[in-house]
Amino acid sequence: MGYKGLIALLGIFTLFFSCRQPKEKTLIGISFETLQTEYWVASIDALKASCEENELDYLEAVANSDANRQFEQVNNFISRGVDGIVIAPKDAHTVIPIIKAANRAGIPIVVYNRLPALNKGTYTTIVADNYEITKKTVRYMGDLARTSGKKYKAMILIGDLGDTNAVMRRKGFNDAIREYSDVIELVAEVPTEWNQEKALAGVTNALQANPDIGFIFSSSDFLFPSVISALKNADKYYPIGHEKHIILGGFDGDAMAYKMLKSGHLDVTGVQNVYYECDLALRAIMGILEDKPLDRILIDPGFIIHQQNLEQMSTYMWGAGLNSTE
Amino acid sequence: MGAMAGISNSKSGFIIYLCVGYYLIMAVLAPGFFTLNNTMNLLFNLLPLLIIAIGQTYVMLTAGIDLSVTSIVAMCSVLGGFMMSSDTGLFQSEFAAILFGISTMLLGGALIGTINGFAVAKLGMPAFMVTLTTMILFSGLAIWLTQSQNLYNLPEAFIDMPYTSLLGIPIPVYVGLLVVLVAYFLLNRTIFGEWIYAVGANTKTAKISGVNVPKTIVLVYVFSGLCAAVGAILYTARLETGSPVMGQNILLDVIGAVVIGGTSLFGGKGKIAWTFFGALFMTLLDNSLNLLNLSFFIIMVVKGSVILGAAILNTVLEKSLKAT
Repeated sequence: MGYKGLIALLGIFTLFFSCRQPKEKTLIGISFETLQTEYWVASIDALKASCEENELDYLEAVANSDANRQFEQVNNFISRGVDGIVIAPKDAHTVIPIIKAANRAGIPIVVYNRLPALNKGTYTTIVADNYEITKKTVRYMGDLARTSGKKYKAMILIGDLGDTNAVMRRKGFNDAIREYSDVIELVAEVPTEWNQEKALAGVTNALQANPDIGFIFSSSDFLFPSVISALKNADKYYPIGHEKHIILGGFDGDAMAYKMLKSGHLDVTGVQNVYYECDLALRAIMGILEDKPLDRILIDPGFIIHQQNLEQMSTYMWGAGLNSTE
Repeated sequence: MGAMAGISNSKSGFIIYLCVGYYLIMAVLAPGFFTLNNTMNLLFNLLPLLIIAIGQTYVMLTAGIDLSVTSIVAMCSVLGGFMMSSDTGLFQSEFAAILFGISTMLLGGALIGTINGFAVAKLGMPAFMVTLTTMILFSGLAIWLTQSQNLYNLPEAFIDMPYTSLLGIPIPVYVGLLVVLVAYFLLNRTIFGEWIYAVGANTKTAKISGVNVPKTIVLVYVFSGLCAAVGAILYTARLETGSPVMGQNILLDVIGAVVIGGTSLFGGKGKIAWTFFGALFMTLLDNSLNLLNLSFFIIMVVKGSVILGAAILNTVLEKSLKAT
């Protein structure tokens, strides 16, 4: 049989057998744009564990930071006939055509951890209160600065400003730091685009330009390796109590942050409650499938963890359950 | 050796059998694969990749390579986004925004292609080096121009384009068809097509035979740039965003499609039909492995292995042909 015959056979095969295979359990499609940081790995693991606990089947796909690939993967989920989609999108805007695709197929979609830009689609977002958590974290750092009686020059590491989370964290930082203008002066804003190399170069440059920086907030804990490297080069990485200690704060609550808290190098970090958010995401999908009314945005209030409450709150800190090397 | 040559002579048959065989196996193994919905899905995923791979085929037929296609996609996406976004407010009329946006994207692609072609043909620089450099240069430029921000609020008619049909057929299908037909016509029915094969088979002989080698090389890179620009139009419309990192990860798929299709890495041999099935196979692979719920890392390993296998086969067949 020639290839034309094979193609004809293929056509007949498609025509007669084009039907969905029956599913026994509810099937959830989990699409993540990246697994680049511990936070995303912990999140996808928690989502899969929640699916197993709730006896749900799941499909997973990771887009390697490629918005187009993520779009294609979600369309594959739709072809596979998933009952619901949980997506951690690349950014606030490229998720919109994905929401539209899910809506066209009548499949509920929950956007995990990144608030989509304003759009007319039907979706539910699970997101940490980035603004408030950051504000609390920076206020804690500000109180430490004020109590010390010294004046501080400050630096912030900013994330990708196409990401709403990064925008809200920056806003939370700016609003909090304004309350401490008597003791803290912001001298450096380092754009990182959520990239370790850019963070390292930026922090190194900022420390060279302002060697007396004594207050650093990182918009994500995953950037701490870069911060530590730059601080060590500048002979500024010392634990709390040492005269050269820099007041250090972060956001996320990853394993590195936990280790730094334990070793006394980190003063405070804002924690997103991964387990709570994942549980919320699945409950949202199930709620939509059962026609229960849901808010468009479900908030994880998060919490801050510092030297005073470390023992008590580490149980809820997702990074405390992971291993990390500093 | 004779058997090897036989296989090589029926390269197009091999890739077609591979696609059909793989399709049938996945139809049984991968749930949801064998549905009308997924067939449409495959088609839409195939189109931009196919268009960009066709441009790459032209370049590889002359024994060159265009690594800059990813940055052309990114740059064109940014240019189009800038021209069309209501945030920049360059045009009041949606029609004018789309017209100038698409024209700018095509012009941008052709311009970068011209730079590549000029450096390879006139300055005699290695294609690998030139296009690697322009890849870095234009990726950086796209990010710098936008300060790493995406461009949104594109005209409704533009972002609806992937879902708009004429006579029941979605517009991207017409676009793909047009590119395939033009590419086929130029390669098989014009003197330019003959020049491309001649340059790829043996540059010196081509030159002695009166082929305008520099002109041919410049034109294939321009064509590749134009194809990448058309791919960028489809990607930008689909994602409703002009992005400086658009297409950043497609290089493996583009080159993989051409190599798996059977186009010679050493130039002079290749067909549009081969690239069509090569691109189809890459699309089938991505789609089916995804439906099989394999992890991202395994998918990368499988894709890398398949492309490596195809490249090895390509080289072995080439050597065996030279030996016979």
